[in-house]
Amino acid sequence: MAELGDTMKARTLWGVIPLLAPVQLLLLSVIIIPSIYVIWLSFHVSSFGQSATFVGWDNYIRVITDPAFHSALINTVIIVVVAVHLELLVALGVALLFNSGLKFRRLLLVAVLAPYAVSEVIAVAMWRFLFDMDVGPVTQALQALGLPILEWGYDPMHAMIMIALLTIWMHLPFTFIILYAARLALPSDLYEAARIDGATAWQSFRRITIPLMGPAILVALLFRYIFAFRLFSEVWLMTQGGPARSTEVVAVYLYQEAFSYNAFGTAAATAWIMVIVSLLLASGYIYLLRRQVNANAK
Amino acid sequence: MRNKRLLNLLKTIAVLAIVVWSLFPIFFIVVSSFKAGHDIFAVPTKWFFEPTVQHYQKLVSAWPVFFSSLWNSTVITAGATALAVIASTTAGYVYSRYNSRLLNASIVYLIGVRLIPPIVVTLPLFPIVNWLGINDTHFVLIVLYATFFVSLGTVLMRTFIDQIPRELDEAAAIDGASRMTILRKVIVPLATPGIIAVAVFVIVFAWNEFLFAFIFTSTNAKTAPLVVSEMIGSIDGVDWGVLFAASTVQLLPVLLFVVFMNRYLVAGLTAGATKG
Repeated sequence: MAELGDTMKARTLWGVIPLLAPVQLLLLSVIIIPSIYVIWLSFHVSSFGQSATFVGWDNYIRVITDPAFHSALINTVIIVVVAVHLELLVALGVALLFNSGLKFRRLLLVAVLAPYAVSEVIAVAMWRFLFDMDVGPVTQALQALGLPILEWGYDPMHAMIMIALLTIWMHLPFTFIILYAARLALPSDLYEAARIDGATAWQSFRRITIPLMGPAILVALLFRYIFAFRLFSEVWLMTQGGPARSTEVVAVYLYQEAFSYNAFGTAAATAWIMVIVSLLLASGYIYLLRRQVNANAK
Repeated sequence: MRNKRLLNLLKTIAVLAIVVWSLFPIFFIVVSSFKAGHDIFAVPTKWFFEPTVQHYQKLVSAWPVFFSSLWNSTVITAGATALAVIASTTAGYVYSRYNSRLLNASIVYLIGVRLIPPIVVTLPLFPIVNWLGINDTHFVLIVLYATFFVSLGTVLMRTFIDQIPRELDEAAAIDGASRMTILRKVIVPLATPGIIAVAVFVIVFAWNEFLFAFIFTSTNAKTAPLVVSEMIGSIDGVDWGVLFAASTVQLLPVLLFVVFMNRYLVAGLTAGATKG
């Protein structure tokens, strides 16, 4: 047996290169090398058909001082902070609801998962009609209840609310599944013991559920931060960033710089700002994950 | 006792609310696709109406491009899924069975790659794809879609293959089976749930994706979501009936697929979030 192990080790990397090659080639040629090229691009000024000139940090300074970038960044942060946390609360509520023993649980689970199958494009079409300011059924329902309607066609704030609702609708299945799986994994004898000790439902929630689900909540949050930060299609299809660039998010700003204004240098700088923010968010994730692994080892 | 009744009532309301929230928009778009034009715009919203297929007829006669885009979507989804599944399975096998410092280090990079937002790579790839003359082909989207899932796919496949006892491949190796034979005859059959989980991810993503299709295709390889987005953005006003019909046709297959594959989707999502 030892011999087999040794020969396997000796031949290891050479022999398995053909098995690893497809993944590594795809990642290198489509993601890694292009991303590194974007760094180079971000320090140059160029547009189609012109040779590039080195400009140092100019592009970054230009992006960071651009009022349009500020408004895009603020919109992105609003979506990340408001929509993601709201989504987390709802997902947690639904996960606990599912765990409390429901009839037709599998069927209901499939119902909650359904939006996962829907394309952003179709979702935007739905939302635009449901909230149509003249005939949309949601608008009518809001009016019937005497509530204010969403004037998303011209009020940027209302358009942002629409986009936030839409992203929550699209991503709730993901967050819900992560939290529900984590809740299912908690041992039921803990709750049994707490009940025998006379703990109320609220106490077991505060003292058992929340601390033990902490890691899963963090994982769900960080994934959603990272994905909300690259939000593009929903905004582009809903408002194209308008009216007057007021609903742009960072990815839409990047797209406009590159493909509408041909400013590939500032677009590249924006791209790397996005990568760096994602890396920062992820390093928080890895740090927390390490701590979790250490805690489990103890 | 009364408390318990009240609790049950609240629970039922909460369940109803979440089901309506999740399903109503889908239900509404499908139902509205069978409404006559004037019924779609009726205020208050009509819930009972004479169903008609007029929008589907118009979709067929006025939007032949929608049906060619469905075909493009099918080809691209199939290609991307095959590529991603094969690449992830072979790599996942190596990551599961072989040990070396280089391999362990490259796992970090597999996870790190997922942090790069897709829109970032469009900047350099757009001119390169044009220069190579492969703009607006199935090939570009197949490669892009597969690439953005092979890192998650590899990590998922490693997790699933880790659960297959090593003794099985060692026994096959002693019997003289080559590495490819072990992979084909031992690993693949036992790792099928993992392969399906990866395939479900890629299929849903590739069928629905918008950004890359928007940037890299224009006429020949246009996918269905892109054509639907053109219906939304139409300058002479949106033809809602046709839009609802097209949305229903694009949505129903993938929705049914997710419904039938929900177990694999749940397994993939949980393993993907905790392990990768």
